[in-house]
Amino acid sequence: MNTAKRINRKYKYISLISMLAFLGIWYLATAVLKLVPAYSLPDPVKVITTFVQKFYMKVPDGATLLQNIWASVKVAMLGYVFGVVIGIPTGVAMGWIKAVEKIVRPVFDFIKPIPPIALIPVMIVFFGISLQAKAIIIFFSTVIPCIVNSYSGIKQTNQIHLWVAQTFGATRRQQLFTVALPSALPMIFAGLRVAMGSSWMGLVAAELLGSTSGIGYMISVGRALLRSDIIIVGILTLGIIGILISVMFDLLEKLLVRGGSEK
Amino acid sequence: MAEPIVKVRNLTKSFGDLLVLDDVSFDVQKGEFLCIVGPTGCGKTTFLNSLTKLYNIDSGSITINGKDIDLRQNNIAYIFQEYSAMEWLTVEQNIMYGLKIKHVDKDIIRQRVENVMEIVGLTKYRNFYPRQLSASMLQRVVIARAFAVEPELLLMDEPYGQLDLQLKYHLEDELIKLWQKTGTTVIFITHNIEEAVYLSDRILVLTNKPTKIKKSIPNNLPRPRKISDPEFVKLRNEVTDLIKWW
Amino acid sequence: MKKSSIKQKAGTILLPAVGFVAILVIWWLLVSFTRIGLLLPTPLEVLKRFIYFLGNPIGKAFTLPMHLLISLRRVLTGFCIASVAGIIVGISMGRFKPIEAIVRPIFELVRPIPGVAWIPLAIVWFGIGETAKTFIIFMGGFVNIVVNTYAGARHVDERLMGVAYMLGASKIQAFFRVVLPSCVPYIFAGMQVGLSTCWMAVLAAEMVSSFEGVGWVIIAGQDINDMAQIFVGIIAIAVMGLLLAAFMRFMERILCRWRERGA
Repeated sequence: MNTAKRINRKYKYISLISMLAFLGIWYLATAVLKLVPAYSLPDPVKVITTFVQKFYMKVPDGATLLQNIWASVKVAMLGYVFGVVIGIPTGVAMGWIKAVEKIVRPVFDFIKPIPPIALIPVMIVFFGISLQAKAIIIFFSTVIPCIVNSYSGIKQTNQIHLWVAQTFGATRRQQLFTVALPSALPMIFAGLRVAMGSSWMGLVAAELLGSTSGIGYMISVGRALLRSDIIIVGILTLGIIGILISVMFDLLEKLLVRGGSEK
Repeated sequence: MAEPIVKVRNLTKSFGDLLVLDDVSFDVQKGEFLCIVGPTGCGKTTFLNSLTKLYNIDSGSITINGKDIDLRQNNIAYIFQEYSAMEWLTVEQNIMYGLKIKHVDKDIIRQRVENVMEIVGLTKYRNFYPRQLSASMLQRVVIARAFAVEPELLLMDEPYGQLDLQLKYHLEDELIKLWQKTGTTVIFITHNIEEAVYLSDRILVLTNKPTKIKKSIPNNLPRPRKISDPEFVKLRNEVTDLIKWW
Repeated sequence: MKKSSIKQKAGTILLPAVGFVAILVIWWLLVSFTRIGLLLPTPLEVLKRFIYFLGNPIGKAFTLPMHLLISLRRVLTGFCIASVAGIIVGISMGRFKPIEAIVRPIFELVRPIPGVAWIPLAIVWFGIGETAKTFIIFMGGFVNIVVNTYAGARHVDERLMGVAYMLGASKIQAFFRVVLPSCVPYIFAGMQVGLSTCWMAVLAAEMVSSFEGVGWVIIAGQDINDMAQIFVGIIAIAVMGLLLAAFMRFMERILCRWRERGA
């Protein structure tokens, strides 16, 4: 036990050293040896100062970091909520009602492989560079994983459980609410998580291609001005928010999904 | 005896070209404990599933109290061979399940659930989820769930197949007690002839596929039965021979 | 009996058709009788354009199939590099503790960043040539493949390793006979997800900066306000996506036959 702990601690140190080495090499290559021009890769200190400065400075993209984050998160939430509200019932209906499955499934199978990014030009032509355009892109990024997972979650309902309900005289409705839905819940939840990832990606793409605010916009301004410190700050911000979202989902899942997940 | 509670007439069922049940007819009396035995793979499970219309039957009729079987009207409980406890419900919620589906009064639910949990020895585990339980406990949950609705017809498909012997004997006796107390009708499928002779009022012996009824053997041995009783052994051998000599 | 089976067959052919026909009819009605017609072409126009572009160039030089092939080549280049690198990194992280300790913290930093977000940085670093695109596609696929391979390598059944060693296998033999085969399903899952994110990344990359490829077809359609061209591009993408997914499933069936689902 003790040796295992000690070995673990040893690896923790190695991880720490590896991190420091990474930053050190970065610093050496940029600030000291100047192997690459600063517009291409700034040194880590510069990135950190820019990161801090962006909290109160609106240059160069016209908004502070927090304002940009809020602009992105607002759009993401809007599209995401709509995607979930429409996607889950659609998936459940496809999984539970034969006729709906037969009608919707082929159309859906055709739409599924279209990356939502491909729809960006259509939305820009329709709505211009606006909140709606981006929200619809995110809606598409969300709705597809939601449908896929709730559909297959319902489809994977154990026949025995349905039979138990049936022999007790459960109506179709009761079977859906007491058997199919609860047993599909972990799957549906996984879908929500995937949807969050893909909508976040859709958002970034939408903001890069046409936007006047948000983190993606900040990044593309950084690119236009050859301010790679701004680009890297933007990318890191996206990463940090991604981590926060996934932590949030872990917590929610623990709260909501009972019995189904393994210990 | 009075009018039979279950009447099965000319029940036929096939999967594609494979004929599984061939023109099966029999009656079950009210309060009777009927055991069905047959060679492995002879379609015993198909038999019960067709009986409850979980499978669509090709032809024939099944009536309960003179009316076509209707799972919503009739109070039926079915214990499947596979584990059928619902993973997302606790032990207690699982046992309540049938009662809740039937919209039974809350106080009655509580009282019955406490009662059956006590019988199968799960009271301590009421808040556990199925994945935390052993195989035999899972099967007890399912049995408790079936007993809780106090069914007019109880169908059991090799319910004790996966339990250890000690628990099996215990639950067999509990089943008998419950059956005597409630006067419910039981159809019990097993491949264990000793179990059939121990439990039943009558034994239906099935043939191999396509399944027909080979013989109906009344079992009037006095209860409580002893497996070492010569009469018991004689009957057991009789049934065994029937299965051997199909 | 006979009648119902005919009815069933009709159901499996007719109902899916109902879905497609309904969409086409609604589309056609919207275009013909509402103001959407100003923006959107009819399905027939799109189809005509599609067929026209099969033999005639979009833009200066390339026909639609050529544009598709160009995108496909980019995807495959990036994807192959990502697969090889991802599998190596994933397995070495999963099997060798010191490597895990060194690489994991840096990987965790990169992981939550959406692949699309690398586009501006890639352009600053590599210009707008093929290298930048390959890099973007690589980043899209790499993360997914590492995550899955890593999970697979960690889940190798230690008892099987024990058996292999007991039968006198060398470390190298054990690696090729036990570790690698048992990782294959995980690797494959990662490659499937990876391929679809690569496909998404190539579109995004082409949309942001390029002169050819399906992503360019779409964005060029936006620039000249030609909806029919955008739709032709989207449909081509959908068909390509379907083919790629089918190909991956086919490969999986061959390579992971022992793990056939539903048994």
